[in-house]
Amino acid sequence: MGFFEAIWDVLSTETAYTAATRFAAVLVFAAVGEWVAERSGTLNISIEAMILTGAFAGAMGYHWTENALVGILMGMIAGLIVSLVQAQMSHRLTADQFVVGLTLNILFLGVTSFLYAEWKPSSKVVSKLEIPVLKEIPLIGEAFFGQPWPFLFLYLLVPFTWWLVYRTRWGLEVRAVGENPQAADVSGIDVNKRRRQSIYYAGLCSGMGGAYLLLGQVGRFDDGIVAGRGFIALVAVIFGGWTLRGTILGCLLFGSVLSFRLTLPGLGYQLNSELMSSLPFLVTIIAMTAFARRVRPPGSLARPFVRGLK
Amino acid sequence: MNELANSSTSGGSVLTGPPPAVTAEKLSKIYGSVRACDEVDIELVRGEIHGVLGENGAGKSTLMKMLIGLVLPDKGSIAVDGKPVTIRDPLDAADLGIGMVHQHFSLVEALTVWENVALGDNSRIDRNRTRDRVAELSHEYGLDVNPDDRVEDLPVGMRQRVELLKCLRRDPSVLILDEPTSVLTPEESEQLFDSLRKVVGEENRAVALVSHRLSEILHATDRITIMRNGAVIDRCLTKDTDANSLARSMVGREVGLSYSGLDNSNKDSDVKVKSEPDNESKKIEERFLLELKGISTSSALGVRELNDFNLGIRQGEIFGLAGVEGNGQSSLVEVLSGLKRVSSGHVLLNGEKIPSNRFGQLAKKGVAVIPEDRHDSGVILGMSVSENLLLSNMEEGYKNGFLNKQKRDVRATDLIEKFEINCTGPNAPLWSLSGGNQQRVVLARETSDKPIVLVASQPTRGLDVGAIEYMTRQLRSLADSGVGVLLISSELDEILSLSDRIGVIFRGKIADSMRRQDADRENLGLLMGRGEL
Amino acid sequence: MFSIFKIMSSMRRRSEIVFLYACSTFVALLLSAIIVEAVGANWTDVWNSLLDGSLRKPGRWGKTLGSAVPMAMVAVGTIISTKVGLINIGQEGQMLVGAAFAAYVGAHAPGSGPIVICLVIIGGFVGGAFWSGLAGALRYWRNVPEVLTTLLLVTVAANLVGYALKNTWLLLDPDAAFGNRALVSKQLDPDSRLPRVEIFGNNFSLSVILALLIIVLTTWVLSQTVIGFKLNVVGENRRVGQRFGISEVKQGLMAMCASGGFAGLAGAMMLASGDFAKYRLVTGFTVNLGWTGLLVALVAREKVMAIIPVALIFAGLRTGSSFLAATGVERRVTDVVQGLLVLALLVPPAILFIRDRRRALAQVESRT
Repeated sequence: MGFFEAIWDVLSTETAYTAATRFAAVLVFAAVGEWVAERSGTLNISIEAMILTGAFAGAMGYHWTENALVGILMGMIAGLIVSLVQAQMSHRLTADQFVVGLTLNILFLGVTSFLYAEWKPSSKVVSKLEIPVLKEIPLIGEAFFGQPWPFLFLYLLVPFTWWLVYRTRWGLEVRAVGENPQAADVSGIDVNKRRRQSIYYAGLCSGMGGAYLLLGQVGRFDDGIVAGRGFIALVAVIFGGWTLRGTILGCLLFGSVLSFRLTLPGLGYQLNSELMSSLPFLVTIIAMTAFARRVRPPGSLARPFVRGLK
Repeated sequence: MNELANSSTSGGSVLTGPPPAVTAEKLSKIYGSVRACDEVDIELVRGEIHGVLGENGAGKSTLMKMLIGLVLPDKGSIAVDGKPVTIRDPLDAADLGIGMVHQHFSLVEALTVWENVALGDNSRIDRNRTRDRVAELSHEYGLDVNPDDRVEDLPVGMRQRVELLKCLRRDPSVLILDEPTSVLTPEESEQLFDSLRKVVGEENRAVALVSHRLSEILHATDRITIMRNGAVIDRCLTKDTDANSLARSMVGREVGLSYSGLDNSNKDSDVKVKSEPDNESKKIEERFLLELKGISTSSALGVRELNDFNLGIRQGEIFGLAGVEGNGQSSLVEVLSGLKRVSSGHVLLNGEKIPSNRFGQLAKKGVAVIPEDRHDSGVILGMSVSENLLLSNMEEGYKNGFLNKQKRDVRATDLIEKFEINCTGPNAPLWSLSGGNQQRVVLARETSDKPIVLVASQPTRGLDVGAIEYMTRQLRSLADSGVGVLLISSELDEILSLSDRIGVIFRGKIADSMRRQDADRENLGLLMGRGEL
Repeated sequence: MFSIFKIMSSMRRRSEIVFLYACSTFVALLLSAIIVEAVGANWTDVWNSLLDGSLRKPGRWGKTLGSAVPMAMVAVGTIISTKVGLINIGQEGQMLVGAAFAAYVGAHAPGSGPIVICLVIIGGFVGGAFWSGLAGALRYWRNVPEVLTTLLLVTVAANLVGYALKNTWLLLDPDAAFGNRALVSKQLDPDSRLPRVEIFGNNFSLSVILALLIIVLTTWVLSQTVIGFKLNVVGENRRVGQRFGISEVKQGLMAMCASGGFAGLAGAMMLASGDFAKYRLVTGFTVNLGWTGLLVALVAREKVMAIIPVALIFAGLRTGSSFLAATGVERRVTDVVQGLLVLALLVPPAILFIRDRRRALAQVESRT
């Protein structure tokens, strides 16, 4: 079948892998943060806004200082600001987290485009940092070790996040809060505080991802720069069954599929691009339905916690 | 039996020696007009397992909540090791060495045992140290728990032990257990008691075991305090008492004022009750309005609740089902409310089998229910009085699907008047009514559509004297008009004064049943406490 | 006596809420003004052009009404599912599928005329109901949270419809110019379109009247029929409902389908009114109106009639923003205003909720 030939063809080119990890990188930044947030029981649709604002702040930072590191830092701060609003409104003021999430997406879309039109920052893609020996690994060497240097932050972020959630008291409490907030509450844990903190973490990570998107991939800001990556990151968390390994796998898979959509035509194959675009979502729905046990959300996902009310 | 009641308030059982771990004097808690605890004195002595016995609503949970800091007492004092203290919140209690093993589990299922145990701490996580400590404690108290198991994989009995471990880890001097065996099998309960023995033994801790189950109080404790309606009514040493006397104490030695006028021990019972109640021939089966045959049910966690349960209610009779709470009554009511599927057996109404998975059928065909917890399955707090009244007969207010407001409100006003429901009108939201009036709404709704059978579960609990009298009169007149009434109550006086026939439920089965004139307190007490005479 | 006290306390409560809403709206507008001025633009200009674009200039409020229709319909559906405790956040997708069904019916129905118009509208409802019904089915069959499935199905819908627009056997208009074929559906027959109405120089589609009728009808059904009653019961206390034969599953599925159905209806009305793409289905057809409709519902908080003012405000912002270009201010500033307004509108109920809950907890303690 033409389909499998196409896939095989693609999988044997180096560019496919490079394109896939390129695409997936931003997803991983955002998904890792959202994973932590969802483990605490929150569902943050405002990831889009966090990435977008991070991207814009990254551009501004670079524009002011010509230093990409500053840009990334500013991206993180911007993501944090968005997450502050989401967290405070949803988990202190008890406003509906979906309303807040949606509104923030709209709000920050407006703010960033508005400010971009006024300030017009200029920025560019930063240089690659290639790791000598590892880069020579056939097929995947360049994909994992030959990317723009901010990509390397991932190699720190992912293990750090794992350690944070599985090896610290904070992570234990976050997990408890996500599974059974009543039990956590009875044990003396401040449920909503942990939830807010996990959302801040998501903001930091997504902001970093947004800055990476701008400085490591696209180069120039545009209000369409995120193009739904936040949602895909969210879906990757679900697809991964709310495990970190699964989430990253999901990001890689989705990144591949979505980048294939662009690379395949170049190789002469015409695949149904709509099918490819919806594949991550369809696959996730099927996974949730068929593997209901393994793909099991944290007990209190998307359910706000108010002491005294069930 | 009463000898120790006056002497044990201070100084404890050891005349010269260290003061008790916890001494509570005249502890009181009042909610509005309800005295949850009325000047309660209690002592928890080290080395002893102290049983606190009483029905639901007796005040034992409130008492314990005051000791653990979840509730602040209105009056009275608490002393720990002889020194007066104030317990403002669970942290204070923990600092003073008082720990509680929770009734509704406070475990996070997805986490492992050691993670759950570590949850209440404040320090940095030390995986190995916690695991080792868990293994250590587990061994010491014979709990046999593996620190790396996930709680969701553990059976209920094991989870209980993890709760116990959580508590023990803080090295408390006082351990309070609230209804710990409500979800355990007899074997698991045994194991728990063995562990508790170890807990009080060498370490010289004190344990308070709160329960409404006679058997476990008798089995596991050294000393018993019996509570009723918020006050302590008796104290004794476990070795000096038995199931019979405990049962009598618990359900009321004082003759309830409300029932005195209706005490029908001298009643001319032949008029209403069908003749030959002992005749189990097929002919009589047809005269049962409601029949339960071989009903078995289980709880969500898999614990057996009703076990091959059989019961028949005849026309015009009040069948009083006596029994200590927790022997399957709730499950029975749920089945008859259409809220629970049976795993085996049948329910027959006028000879017709009603499948338990088609909920709504029983209600429609005329089985009325007054549940013991009206907020759970009796009323909708957020809706108005008239809407609540309409639930059993929606056609009356919604002709062809469209609301006939007038009809609905007329029905409501009628019922409000007839049942003397005190509210601001048919549109009053149900949450604005007092408990007694909410109960009247339930009564009104259930009895006004000509029911065949009425199941009244703890119908007078939490009501004041006037309301109790009203309810009892209603039940009697319903029976007189031909309705079969199943009265489920843990108030023995209520059962004795109202019933035409009495049965005792024990461990999910009917232990025995008899006509009213053949029943006496002694035997009933034994049946309730032991399941046999 | 008792009742006078109650009336007074409810009056006080109502004025409390109004005051809080007024305050936070003011703060939101103030913040917007600050942001605008901070970048060197003129807030008065912005404010004026918003008003011009939405209301003041001739013909504009007709456009605003037209914009409000799909938001309002989506909101109606959302409130229905919220009533039974379901979380539907996939209206954008349900709307699109509804519009697609409607376009298909419009293109392939024999003949034209009022009957076809009805079929088109109904087709929209069916499409949306089907799409949300999928999520509902998965929830009750496999316990998959509908908040996730509805969300995921949005992208699936976009891709599905995108595919349909590329194929003539589905939706693609065979008459579109070759070579540079626009991905659009066949334009609705002139007789298959919703008629337009003209009042005081404002031209708007009959969809506005239809939407109004639907809102009133739904309010009526929810409060005056047994259907609404049963939905209410399931949402308030499903155990009591179960006792009296009201099936949680049946009510839930119905509510879920209705929810998507109304979103699909919104899509169909967008198509048949011609306000959005001249009676054609195009890529990006729904222009985020599904999300806005969800917002409207969440701001209206379970009161169907409240949808009318809320939808009008959001629509006003939308149509007003098209006049912003003249002021030189970035069009997106309305997104900022909208965002701040919504956030501001969320604060008063939150404050009241927290305060009420504190009081209720104190009461509950005394009732045990």
